[in-house]
Amino acid sequence: MDSHRRTTVDEALPEGQGFPGGAGVVGNQLNGTRPTAMDAEAFHNASERILSAINTVIDGKAEAAKLALTVLLAQGHLLLEDVPGVGKTLLAKTLARTIDCSVSRIQFTPDLLPSDVTGVSIYNQASRLFEFRPGAVFANIVIGDEINRASAKTQSALLECMEEHQVTVDGDSYKLDEPFMVVATQNPIEMEGTYPLPEAQRDRFMARISMGYPDKDSEIEMLETHQATSPLTRVTAVVTAADVAAMIATVQRVYVSQAVKEYTVSLGRATRESAMLRLGASPRSMLQLLRAAKATAALDGRDFVLPDDVVGVAESVLAHRIILDRKAASTGETPHSVIRGILAKLPVPQEMSAAPSRGGSPRGGPDQRRTR
Amino acid sequence: MTLTPQRRSGQGPDTGRAPEVLAPSPAPAARWRRVGAQPWAMAAAVALAVAGAAVSLNGVLRGWAWYPPVLTTVCVVALAMAALRSLRAQPFLVALGGFASLVFILTFTFFRRYSIAGFIPSGDTMEQLGRYLRRASETVLAESSPVAPNAGIVLVTCAVLGLVVILVDALAVPLALPATSGLGLVAVLVVPAMVKPQSVGVWGFAAAAAGYLVILACSQWFAPDNRITADTARNPGQFRRAALTGGMALVITLLLPLAVPGFDQGTFPQGSRLNPWGSATGLNPMISLGSSLRSPSGDGRITYATSASRPPYLRSVTVDRFDGDSWSPDDRDASRRVGVGRMDAGYEILADEQVRQVTAVNTGRFTSPYLPVPYAPDAVNGLAGRWSWDPATLSIKGVDTNSRNQQYVVQSSAPRLTPELLSQSSAPVRGISEEFVRTPNNVPEIVRRTADTVTGGSSTPYAKAMAIQNYLRSVEFTYSLQSPVQGGYDGNGLSVLADFLAQKSGYCIHFASAMAVMARLEGIPSRIAVGYAPGRSTGATVSVPGQGALTEYEVDSRDAHAWPELYFQGLGWVAFEPTPSRGVVPDYASQASTPGGASTNENNDGLVPSNAATPAATPSATPAPLPGLDSAGEAGHPLTLPLYGAAGVLVLALLVASPRLVRAGLRSRRLRGAPSSGGNPAAAAWAELRDLATDYGLAPGVSETPRHFSRRLLGSGALGARDDGDGAGVRAVASLTADFERRQYGPPAGRADAGAAPSEASVPPAAERIMAVQAALRRHSRPARRLRAEWLPPSVLNRWGHVAGAPFRAVTRAAATTTQAAARSWRTVRDGLRRLRRG
Repeated sequence: MDSHRRTTVDEALPEGQGFPGGAGVVGNQLNGTRPTAMDAEAFHNASERILSAINTVIDGKAEAAKLALTVLLAQGHLLLEDVPGVGKTLLAKTLARTIDCSVSRIQFTPDLLPSDVTGVSIYNQASRLFEFRPGAVFANIVIGDEINRASAKTQSALLECMEEHQVTVDGDSYKLDEPFMVVATQNPIEMEGTYPLPEAQRDRFMARISMGYPDKDSEIEMLETHQATSPLTRVTAVVTAADVAAMIATVQRVYVSQAVKEYTVSLGRATRESAMLRLGASPRSMLQLLRAAKATAALDGRDFVLPDDVVGVAESVLAHRIILDRKAASTGETPHSVIRGILAKLPVPQEMSAAPSRGGSPRGGPDQRRTR
Repeated sequence: MTLTPQRRSGQGPDTGRAPEVLAPSPAPAARWRRVGAQPWAMAAAVALAVAGAAVSLNGVLRGWAWYPPVLTTVCVVALAMAALRSLRAQPFLVALGGFASLVFILTFTFFRRYSIAGFIPSGDTMEQLGRYLRRASETVLAESSPVAPNAGIVLVTCAVLGLVVILVDALAVPLALPATSGLGLVAVLVVPAMVKPQSVGVWGFAAAAAGYLVILACSQWFAPDNRITADTARNPGQFRRAALTGGMALVITLLLPLAVPGFDQGTFPQGSRLNPWGSATGLNPMISLGSSLRSPSGDGRITYATSASRPPYLRSVTVDRFDGDSWSPDDRDASRRVGVGRMDAGYEILADEQVRQVTAVNTGRFTSPYLPVPYAPDAVNGLAGRWSWDPATLSIKGVDTNSRNQQYVVQSSAPRLTPELLSQSSAPVRGISEEFVRTPNNVPEIVRRTADTVTGGSSTPYAKAMAIQNYLRSVEFTYSLQSPVQGGYDGNGLSVLADFLAQKSGYCIHFASAMAVMARLEGIPSRIAVGYAPGRSTGATVSVPGQGALTEYEVDSRDAHAWPELYFQGLGWVAFEPTPSRGVVPDYASQASTPGGASTNENNDGLVPSNAATPAATPSATPAPLPGLDSAGEAGHPLTLPLYGAAGVLVLALLVASPRLVRAGLRSRRLRGAPSSGGNPAAAAWAELRDLATDYGLAPGVSETPRHFSRRLLGSGALGARDDGDGAGVRAVASLTADFERRQYGPPAGRADAGAAPSEASVPPAAERIMAVQAALRRHSRPARRLRAEWLPPSVLNRWGHVAGAPFRAVTRAAATTTQAAARSWRTVRDGLRRLRRG
């Protein structure tokens, strides 16, 4: 762990550092033993420490910070999409800094190669063997700046890492550290010469957050506090990676009742059947939605998921995965408004429903598309 | 929600239509250009529709003489409004102008001489108007269904139709509800539908429907509604939807009458009508004879006690004017004399013996301008209001009052008639108005021939009368309320009479008018008396001053009857009873009655009060095709009424209290933790909390999570502020929510690490918490809401409404499925056709 400590977030490409042992050692010790879950008290304290640390750096963005933490605890990846200069990268860096773990940052450019991300095998003259030099992705938290500037090939190199938490180079698979989280940022304004993320890749991000501009007071405060020094320097790690792994384990143990599962599924089906959507939410997104809901529940100090948790994260989790129908888009609908509309109509299971048929209306399976 | 985007543009972008569609300006420009034609076309459409609907009034009003003024009124009002609209007047001003033009045209048509400059109303006009309105109301009350189009009734008709024009126009144009404007037309059609025995009629209905369609077409043409514009990409399948809607409406129209009692003849719009007075389809003496038999309350029960040995006929009006088209009541208003303390028949009676009777009548809710009295009244005492009597017929009519709630004592006298006396009366008739012997020229041949055949061998008037009566009472004739309707001769004109004599089936009107006409043809003066056949004993007695206790009888609308009265020189007017199975054949007229005459006078058996022991078993709601045969059990035990009353009050109270009782039962079942809640007290308490909130106007939404609902409940202030001391309700809601969430969404209790629910021990049981919530809600709500929550709890009413709506929802679902299937097949066909055309 100490070797990771040396990682600085300002290094663009932490070339191979911290992985002295090569492939064999890449698998972190956390993978070997199953981390034990925390008790509620410790969990609460840890999450409070993280959030307050973030909030000292980024003013007035408590919601975004909490969602970022939620994604981390739910073992998802985060996509920060907003105009330049609202603190996307700062949020990512701060989150990474509050945790005592390895961090790497990749500035995506059109000439970035896949091997820059994943790593490359180099022939070692001395040992006469190919030796794997890990890429930037070998870290607990990977910050991918302006991910839409990289070529599709490089982007897709991230895919496997994000989904499977492993890297495959030259036929060998290397496990990534746990916890592992990719925080990617992208800029929706300057889209010229960029490679917008394809749907498949967007689907791998658990949530997309728009930072939004800070309010007046926060902005004034920001002007004061950020004058002399970077606020990042004040941030110190408040939890260890092991703590985070334990928190993740706690989240995994959060109970999900049948009713909430049904509610989640019926939400997904509603997006697929909505006349305003060309593409509804995928089954994978349902999985991620529920995971995010579990993390929310845990952060709220509960050991079971409420429909409120699902509702709370639904917009962030689903909005970037669905595609609006052209007609709906022309009437000024946004993915967010459509999801809000669906949620406003979706019945919440109130009775102790024994019948699992509740969420499933007989018509309109996932394959049913509206033919126009 | 924004799930139904408003379609503003008529054409979708993908139709590839010309670019002018995309330009924003053309639509308003086109509308602006057309503003010149629109008001006129709309006015023409409205006038056409209303004038068309008015066609159906033929039959309510006799002939067509009333139509030109109606047409003029409708056109003038419509054109006046169109003119104002073409000058771009405000909608309010347009309606005002419509009213003004209606007033002007009515003044011009009816009160030209009593107004300023021929059309501006003045004080004189108002005076005249009052006279006309009185006339109209008399016509409505006193005349039979095709009423003579006198000025009063035509004035009212014109005024109402003018108002309908304004209403339809207001709905269709400024309010932009062209479809709703059909209400005005329906209002016109309702009158013939209720009054005419044959309902609206094809022509009236067709004309009204055509006018309505023209209104719709004009509205759509000039102010297109994009939601219903056909054949746009945004709105496909317009024709299909329209056809489906029309088909469903047609099916419902055909099926619904089967379920409505009263619609049992033919199909709409011909041959059937809703009969609110009972099951006697098509025939309703109160409608087809109009006049005093009109009994709005449906029963019109009259009780009377008489000193006569048997209950007398109660006569309220005579029908003596017969102009060939129909019989109508006397309206000799000019010759009526006010004051009924002393009346005189005006002819001399040569009979030796006069029978005097005293009858005390209580009219109850029977409402008519005419007073039902036994014939022939000498004096009537105890009446309220001013009454007048007609020397020619002795019918008693209110001057400024009617028969409702009158109690009066009638002294009447009639000669004791015997067949011998009647036979001796053969002297030519003198001193009787010409009206009673006049016959129209167009008497059908069959009537004349029948009269001659029947009376062939008779010489004296009495013998002729007896011959006619016996002929009509013979087995050839049957009493039927239905056959005249089915045979299409329901009414009282001459052609009807001919049909009746051919079919030999009908009811009292037909028998009475047949006998009256045939008597006139044979030279005997005649008239038809309308009133009630002898009634049934109620079992009670009434003490009348000077007479002691008299037996009480009752009649109601089912005893309504008509019978002929024939005039015999020296004996006066003598009643006969030609109708089989109704009434009582008088002694003097039953001497030569054929044995087959079927004189089934069960009515009189009811004179024995003791046989009325079991009245409750036969409620009066049972249909009575032969009203005269109704059982004497109707009379009822004196205790029955209070018993029924008590039961009714009890049922009513139960009905009123039932939502509350249901609610209370539900609550106690839930709080007891009945097994119906799945043995889950938290869920039951939660359901109760939801219902409580619903009752106090904070219904949880379907898509609302428990936590959100609870937060809203707490935030609404319905439970009081959190910090105002009585936080029991607030705390209760919070803990109920937490319990429910844990039960509903939390890990099952069996799981090892399920946090042991801390609420179980430290918190009061759910029932107490619910009570706390209820108390808080009640304390912080307004009295009206509290009352509603307790007596008409929305949670219960909604549930009932939901259950009641289930069949409709099923139909809707089925319709939706059908529509989808139809749409799919239609799309297949259309695509196939397109491929065919392209290929």
